[in-house]
This record gives sequence, structure tokens and C-alpha cells, in this order.
Amino acid sequence: MSATDPLVIVCAGGGGVGKTTTSAALALALARAGRSTLIVTIDPARRLAGAMGVSITDEVTPVALADTGDRLSALMPDPRRSLHTFAEQLFEHEPVAKARLLANKLYIGLADAAAGIHELVAMNLVARAAERGSFDVVVIDTAPSRQAVDFVTLPGRLAALLGGRTVSWLGGLAERANGGASGGGGLVGWGAGHVESLLAKVTGPVLVRDTGDLFRDLAVVRERFVALTQHAAKLLLGPRAAYVLVTAPTAAGRDDVQFLHKRLEKLGPGARAVVMNRADTVAAPYARALRGQRAVTPALAAAMAVLDDERAVRAAAADGLSAELRARLPGVPLVRLPFIESTAPERVVASLSVELEPHLHTLLPAVASAKRP
Amino acid sequence: MSQHSPSSGEATPPRAPPRSLSQALLVLGKGGVGKTTIAAGLAALEAQTHGAAIFVEFGDGDAGKRALAGAGRAVRHVVIRPIDAAQRAAAPLFGSATVAKIVLGNFAIKPLLAVAPAIRELAMLEVVRQLAADNPGVRVIVDMPATGHSVAWLRVPTQGRDFLGSGPLFELCDRIRRELLSPGRASIIVVSLPERLVIEETLELCAAVARETSLAVDRIAVNRVPVALPREALTDAHALAAAGGPLAGAAAELAVVLAAREAQRGEAVAALDSLAGKEHTVWHLPLAPGDPSARDVARWLLAEGAP
Repeated sequence: MSATDPLVIVCAGGGGVGKTTTSAALALALARAGRSTLIVTIDPARRLAGAMGVSITDEVTPVALADTGDRLSALMPDPRRSLHTFAEQLFEHEPVAKARLLANKLYIGLADAAAGIHELVAMNLVARAAERGSFDVVVIDTAPSRQAVDFVTLPGRLAALLGGRTVSWLGGLAERANGGASGGGGLVGWGAGHVESLLAKVTGPVLVRDTGDLFRDLAVVRERFVALTQHAAKLLLGPRAAYVLVTAPTAAGRDDVQFLHKRLEKLGPGARAVVMNRADTVAAPYARALRGQRAVTPALAAAMAVLDDERAVRAAAADGLSAELRARLPGVPLVRLPFIESTAPERVVASLSVELEPHLHTLLPAVASAKRP
Repeated sequence: MSQHSPSSGEATPPRAPPRSLSQALLVLGKGGVGKTTIAAGLAALEAQTHGAAIFVEFGDGDAGKRALAGAGRAVRHVVIRPIDAAQRAAAPLFGSATVAKIVLGNFAIKPLLAVAPAIRELAMLEVVRQLAADNPGVRVIVDMPATGHSVAWLRVPTQGRDFLGSGPLFELCDRIRRELLSPGRASIIVVSLPERLVIEETLELCAAVARETSLAVDRIAVNRVPVALPREALTDAHALAAAGGPLAGAAAELAVVLAAREAQRGEAVAALDSLAGKEHTVWHLPLAPGDPSARDVARWLLAEGAP
């Protein structure tokens, strides 16, 4: 582990809890606090890019926002290009195999369906940016799903697949299919040969041949794959990484945060903190100032009553969820953020970043506070 | 607080009568817009009006179970897990469930299935096709996975068919296309929110569906539209802010909040009416400060003219 590796904050949570805006706000707050920060989104949605005025590319791009002093950058790789990027990374030193791969119809068909590959590519790009750049902190906005944190184990799973018997067998498929033999002669009973001929019957010869070719070429670059993904795995699972769970006071938010917490415990890193959005407890100062004043017209009073009713319902739900999380996730700090009533994403990000400022130490990996109090 | 329909009182442009909905309803939308809630509400409404409905969910079944609470027994909740789907879809291909199980459990195929998304998607769509075929006359409401992937899902059978050219798997792809993913067989319902970025994504999704599948978006459900506040409130807040004095600052802040809320309603209506002009029907569902039940959603949908 290099001492210059950045700190990593991975934000995970179910859909609709404000995870993307929270991640952006956290990155903005860190940059304002003087840390060179990279915000990465592996969520295929383009919300964050829009909010920060950044384009979707494999390159790190500076974010021009006030008060960040050039300390904020973004990396938002296009999921549609990720398989291609991955192939470029893997086959950098194998031009012949690369040309064959790029012409493989199966590979072309996979190009926009391979969800896990996109996360892997994003992580490789993060590792590369970490090696080249001088980032203090990387904030990663994961996809809004319960499986979002599983990507940390993907390098290991794929390396195992590429190194195992599967690939040599699948790679062999191509030669056998091209040679015209349908079964693996010499194998008895329900062995690989039988499975192979059944598979060929069902899928047709084209798929078998292309699958075989694809895996034969992948076997060539196995070591390169392991080397490429090792750094990413280290960054994500090492002591310099922290996992922040983002939630909101809804039943889905509650269930997802508990599911993700368990999943993180199982994967190793555990949760560093929980951030709860839309969890304001008291009425905003302006509402308190106006309440009961004679200058307030009946229409205004009615509007304020509706807003206050809604806030009260949110607050009750947030209090309920807070109590539940304190009981179920003991020792995991809880940061509550208010609901921001605005339609402009950049405004929501800016407001939340101010709310997050006092909590940066709670959210940064523990090694950070040990080093820099 | 009253839960009246948020679109009431708003003038809607005259439009062609909407296409009637097909047996399978594919509910699409990006993560967190309330897709599961709307799908569950549609299922509850269908069960109320026609006595039965099937709610299909991909994944672990938790979200659907929560959303369907109180929807009644007439809604059948079907949870499709990738591995079960693969076996179920493969059984007719291999001629028997046992053989399918052996092939899919093969040392090489099993890890391949775990990382090959297109096969899982195909298998899951095939299970939906089988469900619809096995239950004629019963509406099948499918809670599809989040945005980016759902259009990719709908593309898989066409890609597979074009790629394979012949053979049983080719026929499977073709059958899903003909019997599930074609007009008259399935209708697409997109769920959106009255937020600028989400609406932009909804428009992109509608375009992607039109461009990349043989289906079109039939209905758009805008979820969590805030209830309308008294029309004069914003004017009054501005007036109070302009009058100066000790309350001016607070009134200005309130005006910002009220304006944002009006903008939210206005944006949703404007952006989606541009689509509505192109033969989509838009349902508006109110913002409930808590978690709405499937019955609440069914009631709101009914008020909006669904299904």
C-alpha cells in the first residue's frame, strides 16, 4: 500500500435516497476544506454530471465551482464505452488478440449489457487516476442498488474465472468447433463433452465458436488483468477506504441501509457512517420567524401549514428511522441532513455541502483522523 | 392533509385517445422514482377491477413484498431470481428440466452465467413470457430493473436473434420478441419525478425505447408531485419581502421555497405535456409525506383514469 494512495469514500444506498447529490455535496465540502478531491460516479445515470457541468468521459475533468480553488475534479466514465476501454486496457500489449476480440460478434453484443464490467472499468480508471494524480480523497458514488457494493469483489471473481478450468475449456470450444468435432472425444457419461455437444445444439455453432474465441483471448491476458485490478482492489478494501451508507426516512430506505450494512460487514470493510437525507427535525428559521405574525396573509399561512405538515411527517419518519438505526447499527455514527426545497440540482448540492461541513471527520476513513486531526 | 389529485384544475391540451394497455405492463424508470410502488399500485388496481393480477419482480422480493402489503390476495407476487429463471427458460431448450440443470450446473457454464448478463436477462424475460402465456386474460405487471439497464434488457432478444441466426436459442429470442416484446403484447409505463434531471432522463428513456425496441412508451406516471398551494401565496410572500421590515428576510426565503415548489409542478407538467402531445398519457400522482400503500396508489391511479 502506497502512502500516497488517496483516501476513498464509497457512498452506497438504495434508489431515491439522494445518494448522488450527497456524494457530490461531500466532494464539494472536502474540496472547500482544502483537500484535493475526485468525485467518481459509476451510476449509469447522468444526474451528477448535469449538476456539476461535467461531461461523461474516461478522463478526469476539473469541476469549476466557486470556493474549490481547482481542488475538485470529476471522473464519470460512459458505461456504453466501458467494455471497449476495458479491452484497450487489457490488450494493450497484445495487438493480434485485441484485433480478434474487437471483431468478435459476441464481444460486440456484450458491449452495453455488461453491467459489472462498467464498475470494474471505473475502478481501474480510479486506480490510474490515483497513480497519476495527487488526490487526497476520492468520493465514489455507486449504482443505486443492493448489489452496488459487490463490485469490490468483482476483480477477484473475474480473476478466478479467468484462471480456472472454465476458460481453458471454453477456449478449447473454439478449436473443437472450428475443427468440426462436436464432442470432447474420450470423455465418458455426463462429462464436459456431452455438455458441450448439448450446448452447441441449443445455442448454435456461432455462439460456441465466438465464446471459445473470446475466452481463448482472455486467457492470454489473465496476468495483465490481475495486475490491472489489484490496485483497484487494494484502494477499495484497504484501511484508507470508508463506506458511507446514504438513506432517507422511507421504508425502502430503511430496508436497503440495513441490507447494505450486513453486506459490508460480510465483505469486510463495514460501514463508517450513515447519512440520512430529508431528516430535518425543526422548522426552518424563516418559518419560525413568520409563524403567527399578523402580516402573514391567509394564503401564506395556508401554504406554510402545508409545508409544515409535510416537514412534520418527514421528521417523525426520520426520528423513527434514527432510533431504529441506533439500535440495529450500534457504533455507526448517523449524520442527519435537512430536506432542501429546490429544483436546481446545483443548489441542492451547494446547500447540502454546507450541512456536511461539520461532519467531514465522521465520514472520512479512520486513518485520516489518526494522521490529520 | 387532503390527497386530491395534483393535476386537478389544470388545463390539459386535447389529445388522441390513449392506446389501450396490453396484457403485460413493463414498468420502467431509473432507481428511486418509486417504480415498485407504482407497479404495485397498478397490480392492486387491476386486482380490484378484474379480480386478479400478477406482479413480477426481479431480485430478492423484499421491495415488492413491502409495496404490495395490503394489496389483497388477488395479486399474485412472483419473484424471479436469475438462476431459477435460467433453469426455467432452458428446460424446454434442452428437452428436460434435469438436463438443463446439469448443463447449467456444469463447472464451466455456472461461473460463466454468473458474469454473463445477457443470458440472465433473456432467461428472465422468457419467464415473463411464459407467465403471460400461461395466464391468458390476467394482467402481468413487471417491475423492471432501473433505467440504463432496462432498455438494454429489451434489446437483448433482438440482438440475440440477429447474432445467432438459427438454433433453439435463436428461436427463444425470436419467441420473446414476437410474444412479449411487440405492440399489443406489452405496454411500457415509465415512472418519473417532477425534478429537472429525472425528467431529462425520462425523455432520454422514451427516445431510447422508440429507437431501440419495437415498442413505444404508452403511459408516463409522474410520481410525488407536490400538492398545489394557494395561488396567492407566492405573490403574498414577494409582497411581504418587498415591504421591508423585520419579516422581509424570512418572507424572501419562503418565496424561494414556494417558487421552487411551483417550478417543480410546472416543470413536470410542461416537459411531459410535450410528450403527451405525442400520444402519451401522463398520470400525476401526489407527493405523500410518508410511504403510500398499494391501495393509496391504486386510488390515485384510478382518479387519473388508469389503467
